[in-house]
Amino acid sequence: MTTAEVARYGAPIERDEPVVVIIGSGAGGGTLAYELTRQGATCVVLEAGPYLTADDYVNDEWEAFGQMAWLDMRTTSGSWRVARDFPNLPAWVVKAVGGSTTHWSGATPRFMAHEFTARTTYGQVDGASLLDWPITLEELAPYYDRAEQAMGSTHRHGRPALPANNNYTVLANGAEKIGYRYYATGPYATNATPYDGRPASIQDGFNFQGDKSGAKWSTLVREIPRALETGHLDLRPDCQAVRITTDAAGKVDAVEYLDAAGALQRQAARVVCVAGNSIETPRLLLMSASGQHPDGLANSSGQVGRNYMRHLTGSAYARFERPVRMHRGETMAGIVADEARHDTSRGFAGGFYLETLSLGPAFLASFLEPGGWGREFTTWMDSYDHIAGMWIVGEDMPQPGNRITLNTDVQDQHGLPVPNVHFDDHPNDVAMRSYAYDAADQLYGAVGALAVHHTPPYPSTHNLGTCRMSADPADGVVDRWGRAHDVPNLFVSDGSVMTTGAAANPTLTIVALAIRQAEHLLAEMRQGTL
Amino acid sequence: MTQDAVRQQSDPQRAEQEPTDLQVDTSAHTDETPGGGAQLADSGRTRRLLVRLLQVAYPHERFPAGPYERTAAAIVDAARADAADGRAITRGLAGLDRAAGGDFLALDDAAAETLLRDRADEYFFRRIRSTAVVALYDSADVWELLGYEGPSFDRGGYLHRGFDDLDWLPGARVDEYAGEPRVELVESEEAAR
Ligand SMILES: Cc1cc2nc3c(=O)[nH]c(=O)nc-3n(C[C@H](O)[C@H](O)[C@H](O)COP(=O)(O)OP(=O)(O)OC[C@H]3O[C@@H](n4cnc5c(N)ncnc54)[C@H](O)[C@@H]3O)c2cc1C
Repeated sequence: MTTAEVARYGAPIERDEPVVVIIGSGAGGGTLAYELTRQGATCVVLEAGPYLTADDYVNDEWEAFGQMAWLDMRTTSGSWRVARDFPNLPAWVVKAVGGSTTHWSGATPRFMAHEFTARTTYGQVDGASLLDWPITLEELAPYYDRAEQAMGSTHRHGRPALPANNNYTVLANGAEKIGYRYYATGPYATNATPYDGRPASIQDGFNFQGDKSGAKWSTLVREIPRALETGHLDLRPDCQAVRITTDAAGKVDAVEYLDAAGALQRQAARVVCVAGNSIETPRLLLMSASGQHPDGLANSSGQVGRNYMRHLTGSAYARFERPVRMHRGETMAGIVADEARHDTSRGFAGGFYLETLSLGPAFLASFLEPGGWGREFTTWMDSYDHIAGMWIVGEDMPQPGNRITLNTDVQDQHGLPVPNVHFDDHPNDVAMRSYAYDAADQLYGAVGALAVHHTPPYPSTHNLGTCRMSADPADGVVDRWGRAHDVPNLFVSDGSVMTTGAAANPTLTIVALAIRQAEHLLAEMRQGTL
Repeated sequence: MTQDAVRQQSDPQRAEQEPTDLQVDTSAHTDETPGGGAQLADSGRTRRLLVRLLQVAYPHERFPAGPYERTAAAIVDAARADAADGRAITRGLAGLDRAAGGDFLALDDAAAETLLRDRADEYFFRRIRSTAVVALYDSADVWELLGYEGPSFDRGGYLHRGFDDLDWLPGARVDEYAGEPRVELVESEEAAR
């Protein structure tokens, strides 16, 4: 080993030792690493980004974004507005140890039973590639319990609610006035009181920027340090996997990656678990095409990269006569669940949640109305401390043409083809969004809003579905455990496996699935079948 | 963001930089005439034109000249870093002068805004906006004017500094609804198909 060696954390593992190699250290990868190492399994985690911790984080939106976000070149196509407003930033995700859980805010609703049978429940929806999940809520429920315990979700397992901040007070009063009942300050994975060795929230309003206090759950503050303590993890930050290789028998045998110095390295693998989030995961599988897998690894179905979902999103900002100061306090500790139901009398399939959202002026200016200017725009900015905000998150329809492909015309800084993200809104998405904007108008109108602005979806924070789970290998990429249908020792361990998106924010489900997958992997490894 | 994002990757000091070009697309480099025109001259006249344009495009009675001057400087810097952008902005500003009968600075607010409205989709103005929207609002001087309090962790957050000081609405329940459970699925006849 030389000094040009990448910085390593934890127990060094030889590169020719075939171990479990986990790609990505976010919600899926970080959880899996901890669940495996605490049971004695040896793991290497390859993480493309740097190891940033609380001291590195800054209370400044753009500076934090520049520090944390995945800014490597990407391209977009399709009729979604993001392709016009942010053509090279389809997604707002993190490239750092802890992945997007360092940026995330913390809303943790569970998926509902019928959402696991979307195809059966919603019926045939034209243009949509709906499918039932190969697992049920019942099967996942014990893992949801464990995930909520791990993440410290408020309102669950006896944990107290966070107090109401100003933005929530507006949301909840409006909700109550228009007849909604199912609102609360959670479930939200940030401590209301000290829990699990971490402090209670100080309501600093900077949880998107990494959260310097540690009150917010992320794999950076919980799973990664605990996995390192086991002595079974070799964490390699600044190491980006670029190809997964297979042996003559068709099993994966190694991962090639670029280390911090840009040198190509090879880590032997017994099992490979890909958790790079739903753009990089299919990109890596597609880049791993070989003679045996001409269309990309694990892609005999042609489904790798397809059915990309990003949730119906949109935001609404309302301006009031009196001050709100939404920037004070927890960003998203406010959830209204009344509209999450599936009820086709509203004119669309699936449902949505309304959640508090606050941005500082620097981000609000860029996202409120991209490209906006003039008096209408500055009136909103001038009202900054009189604004309340909410985010709309709902189920969007999977479509085969919404997909991640390799754009061989454009290369990233390593000379690799960049991912292209193609997305067209489905008519169901459009109908739901317009209904939801209407609901926002009513909600804020009921507490005296002077005006409500409908902010279009911005770069995707929820990226799902590009390696979906399916019972039939022809319909998807992985089975009910996240194992590739085509490759027995290749697993996908992040939001890419979601068969459909459901209405809820996805991270609790990603964590629950990773805990469940770890249990399966351990059992298989003990039996010698992996 | 495009080229800048990539540049930042190879720059060891990228953490100190800000992605000021979030909304930039690359179409200018194809849909504008490639070679023609002069570079943006960093003259007093250029600055005055840009400041005036910014004041018309982003009117804030509470803002002094400083934030607009700072933003104009950021636009000049961005234009100098990209020759095609520099030329496009030079042409754009000259076009405003021409359309104003010689001097854009002589127009009143309404007339100046009309000229900008007519050019809302032109590359030079989109390019200016994409830099301006970050440069203008990502600064402590402006935050204070807008009632935003900036970094808070070092001051103990807002836990004891008003995170819940809104007093014009009643306090709201924070726990989940204790009544009948939420209906998750409304069966319709149609869905049975
Ligand atoms: C601002 C914001 C707010 C959010 N709020 C919420 C919320 O309230 N509730 C919720 O449920 N969700 C929220 N999310 C979404 C949540 O962060 C994601 O759902 C979740 O983190 C996804 O987990 P993942 O494991 O799929 O990917 P990530 O957590 O993104 O982790 C992927 C990791 O893999 C690394 N990686 C990628 N490719 C490679 C490679 N080739 N080699 C090595 N490493 C690689 C990346 O650098 C990254 O660290 C939010 C997201 C953002 C950005």
